[in-house]
Amino acid sequence: MMGVIRDLLVFFQRDVRIASSYRSPFVLELVEALFGAAMFYYVARFVDSPELRQALPQGTSYFAYSLVGFVFFDYLHAALDSFDRTLEEARDTGTLEPLLVTQVSLPVALIGSSIYPFVLTTLRVAVYLGWGSALFDFPLRQANWLSVLLVLAATMLSFAGLGIFSSAFLLLFKRGNPSKWFFLGVSSVVGGMLFPVSVLPSWLQIIAHLNPVTYALDAMRGALLGRANLSAIAQPLLILFLFAVLLLPTSILAFSWALRRTKITGTLSHR
Amino acid sequence: MPDFAITIDRLEKSFPRALSGWRALLQPFAAPTLEALRGISFQVKTGEAVALLGTNGAGKSTLLRILATLLLPTRGRALVVGHDSAREPAAVRRQLGYHAGSDLGFYARLTAEENLRFFGQLNHLSGSYLRLRIATLSEQFELGAALGNQVRTLSSGTIQRLSLLRALLHEPKVLLLDEPTRSLDALAASDFRKFLKAEVLQRQGTSLLFASHTLSEIELLADRVAILKTGNLLAIDTPAALKSASGASTLEEAFSRLTGHSAHFLQELAPS
Repeated sequence: MMGVIRDLLVFFQRDVRIASSYRSPFVLELVEALFGAAMFYYVARFVDSPELRQALPQGTSYFAYSLVGFVFFDYLHAALDSFDRTLEEARDTGTLEPLLVTQVSLPVALIGSSIYPFVLTTLRVAVYLGWGSALFDFPLRQANWLSVLLVLAATMLSFAGLGIFSSAFLLLFKRGNPSKWFFLGVSSVVGGMLFPVSVLPSWLQIIAHLNPVTYALDAMRGALLGRANLSAIAQPLLILFLFAVLLLPTSILAFSWALRRTKITGTLSHR
Repeated sequence: MPDFAITIDRLEKSFPRALSGWRALLQPFAAPTLEALRGISFQVKTGEAVALLGTNGAGKSTLLRILATLLLPTRGRALVVGHDSAREPAAVRRQLGYHAGSDLGFYARLTAEENLRFFGQLNHLSGSYLRLRIATLSEQFELGAALGNQVRTLSSGTIQRLSLLRALLHEPKVLLLDEPTRSLDALAASDFRKFLKAEVLQRQGTSLLFASHTLSEIELLADRVAILKTGNLLAIDTPAALKSASGASTLEEAFSRLTGHSAHFLQELAPS
């Protein structure tokens, strides 16, 4: 186990070194986050209405609600993109085969390569919330940080399963996974990113409840905005962990099968 | 430890035909019909150097990639130090160093040393030992000055030497090299061959299987030569025995008589 953790950290160190060879983007992201937070603040002031306040959880402003939805939706982007991007970059730079003849398995290499994007997303989320709190009265002091950390862990694990499924598809078919974009599109509508699931038609609410994004955002809003302790968010948290338990092993199995097929067809490093 | 570093046992490999248009979606499930290796068998003894000689499409790279666990055989077995490359890939990878002929694969934004440290760590080399190996080998490969430079700034010949160094970093028992001197200039190629002969083969006793089109390289390094043609093993023997059996005075001529290819075919394939 310690060996696997060491291997994962080797990938993280590599990505930090590569990222630090480009200096300006992170500074620019800090500035972009300021404008992003400001945009949500002014949109929230514009759309504020009694109907909207009634649909939101008690005491939650639309600014706080939409900002949490928007920034935590980024984890889904990170999960679905990072595994695919890792694989594509390794294929394009020709590092895939040298990686595969080391003593590290490809699933470990993929997971290791996804740590940096997840860490970067977390930093980006922190910057958004920091700007929101400093300038636009985002209620950061209401957060229950233990609950936030647990929701974050469950979110990353369940979303990582979706990402690994996506990279299994990419490994087999060599091109962008259309179902990934479909899933992102559906989730942005039914996952409760910018408005509560309760305002959707009932058939869309059924789809929303089959989607881990709904539970991730629900639990995160409870933990960040509603001072929710573990028992208050137990249900969405448990469902998120169930998604993780289901998705992670099945996605790794699917990926291993896809890898085996490419070793049979000789298309492992094909672009 | 087994007497044989490599055992190839009735090895067959077929690939599916490339499908285009909407049929490309079926590519992962297409039946393998193009034969690349046709039931070849031979062994490489511990400490022995065997060259694979053949024209393009003979099956040399396919054989090396099966041994490197990058491809699965269709039938038959490929063993590295007694471990089956299809069934025990992790055990096989612990024993071997592999240098691909193309796609040398480094991170362009990392320095040469950062790249070597990354791959060394993935082969579970410890910090101090890894630093020592990088320092020693980079001196032998005359790469010391390049270590601190980003790979994107290095010449193709330097990257080739870096790739060879990477294959040797963890002192593998078996070394698989696909056209090891292809992008090297004449001097660097000569130095590398001398290093391979004296240090890797004679001093460390590493077993070597390599593909090459350069006959002088084969005669210098190889104890035996395996001649392949369209996936078939035509002959495997010492260069002297191959010449004698075919009544040829040079290895080039022996290759020509055994395969039916004219000798200039190989000269065209060899790096200038």
